[in-house]
Amino acid sequence: MGIVLRFWSSSPRRTRCSLVVSSLRTLCAITVLSFAGQAAAAAEAVTIDQVAPGVFVHAGKQLPLDAPGHDDIANIGFIVGTRCVAVIDTGGSVRIGRALRAAIRQHTALPVCYVINTHVHVDHVLGNAAFRDDKPQFVGHAQLGAALARSRAFFLREFAGDFDAPASADQIVGPDLEVKDVLELDLGDRKLKMRAWPPAHTDCDLTVFDETSGTLWTGDLLFRERIPVLDASAIGWLSAIEELGKIPAKTIVPGHGKVGHDLAFAFAPERRYLQILVTAVRADLAEGKSLNEVAVAMQVAAAEKSHWLLWDSAHAHNVARVYQELEWE
Amino acid sequence: MMNRNLAMLLLLAVAPAVYADVTPSSSSGAWQGLRATYYGNKEIGEVDEKLMSLAAPASTPDPSATPVTIRFGTQAAGKVKQVRLIIDHNPSPVAATMQLEQGVPIDEIELRIRVDRATSVRAIAELDDGTLEMRSAWVNASGGCSSPPSAAGAGALGDVRFRPGADGKALQVSLRHPNNSGFQIDPISGDAIPPHYVLHMRLRSGEQTLLDADTGISLAENPTVRIASEQSLKGPLTLEAVDSKNERYEATWNSATTAKSGGR
Repeated sequence: MGIVLRFWSSSPRRTRCSLVVSSLRTLCAITVLSFAGQAAAAAEAVTIDQVAPGVFVHAGKQLPLDAPGHDDIANIGFIVGTRCVAVIDTGGSVRIGRALRAAIRQHTALPVCYVINTHVHVDHVLGNAAFRDDKPQFVGHAQLGAALARSRAFFLREFAGDFDAPASADQIVGPDLEVKDVLELDLGDRKLKMRAWPPAHTDCDLTVFDETSGTLWTGDLLFRERIPVLDASAIGWLSAIEELGKIPAKTIVPGHGKVGHDLAFAFAPERRYLQILVTAVRADLAEGKSLNEVAVAMQVAAAEKSHWLLWDSAHAHNVARVYQELEWE
Repeated sequence: MMNRNLAMLLLLAVAPAVYADVTPSSSSGAWQGLRATYYGNKEIGEVDEKLMSLAAPASTPDPSATPVTIRFGTQAAGKVKQVRLIIDHNPSPVAATMQLEQGVPIDEIELRIRVDRATSVRAIAELDDGTLEMRSAWVNASGGCSSPPSAAGAGALGDVRFRPGADGKALQVSLRHPNNSGFQIDPISGDAIPPHYVLHMRLRSGEQTLLDADTGISLAENPTVRIASEQSLKGPLTLEAVDSKNERYEATWNSATTAKSGGR
């Protein structure tokens, strides 16, 4: 891992590499990763950008979940107060969690008092174990613990290599501070406002707003560039986007994709995709189409496909989930 | 971001040929046992596509609700006594055993199944002359038996939804029910939730039975049957169901309405 991360941080090559089209970029990452296997587990730091004063983000790569580097696809990072540090999402492996911890140590000696997870998905939570020795409070949506319990066997079976060997359930660290509605955390001269959402991307989505810098950390309620993945409720997700649009955010950190500074602009493509999906599935349902014949909804592809990375990995899944949500309307 | 079957989807995209080669041998162990149990040494035909076909997605978009369609050709429609749907590698392989009334012109039956991991899915039909025919399909999936319940908010246990096709020749019947596989985890205790599933579904037109199915935990949440015919389907059609807690559900569809008829 270390070699990759150094590669991405060497600025001239990084610039060149990140400007080429996504497939080439993916190729770059994979090529280099093949050498990374031998790198020592000793914590090399992830690359970090300071996107607002005291707000640090490591940009996840737009890779599929089975590609080399799949444990480093989510945006993760931390916010520093005068008293302590809050980590927001920890990456898709204990190794990435450790590399995030190393990056924190390059920027501050303050203790990590909170580890916040924006939702249950593997690419956001498996790094939690790297922070256990810091004895932080682990913070999440009130449904996160249940969702992690449901996912336990699945994570251990499908992502065993992303745990410290041997993979074990005790490395999946759930929240001990649960957010039912809203919750404020104080990092010292810096208050973070947590908000728990009704089912949307998942059934345990949590957002973090740092009033001091005006930074909104959306978790996977915002996908940019990469196709959104729907697990819970398209209707709920659209409502959440509506509500999030009212937040006076100057900097927006999405779960996947580039950090932005214009809230409406950042959410527009995802909102458009979800709205089209809902409209198309409703049309199929009105025609009496079965789950097997959602032709209209799949045709959304024609209009939307070119706007999104990794389209084929999620669009059919999203159609199926929306169908099963809307057929009971 | 993460979706349960993503890894499997991509695996399939990379190596379809490998899976094709592996299919027969890897599922034969499970199937040989099931075959012996249900069909003994009886010969099972596997050739005539005009008789029957089976459609299932090669890699399912949603492993917890994978649509599988059984179609009968003109030679078979009205002559099928029984169809059994088997998912070799599921913890509970028999998804449904359906008795069809002879002479009833059902050409197509679609069910939604859970698929726990990559498996053969097979339909075995017994015709009125006692001959057996089988069709199978390979489905790539992961986690369909342990995935979370759907977040669809509307509807209560026992609600029944009839959804007729636009041409009046198809009807989808869904029963709002967890059809809990027992492999899901109780969030509070961490224990497996005891199964609570639909044992039996019967579709009748007046007093004439169209389809009578013994069902199990390999059917998806909100058990759904869709039938299609060359002829127009006319109401009233009634669904009767009973679950493992001996709760009974019944609702009737009249062709004129897209009924939201309640259950129980």
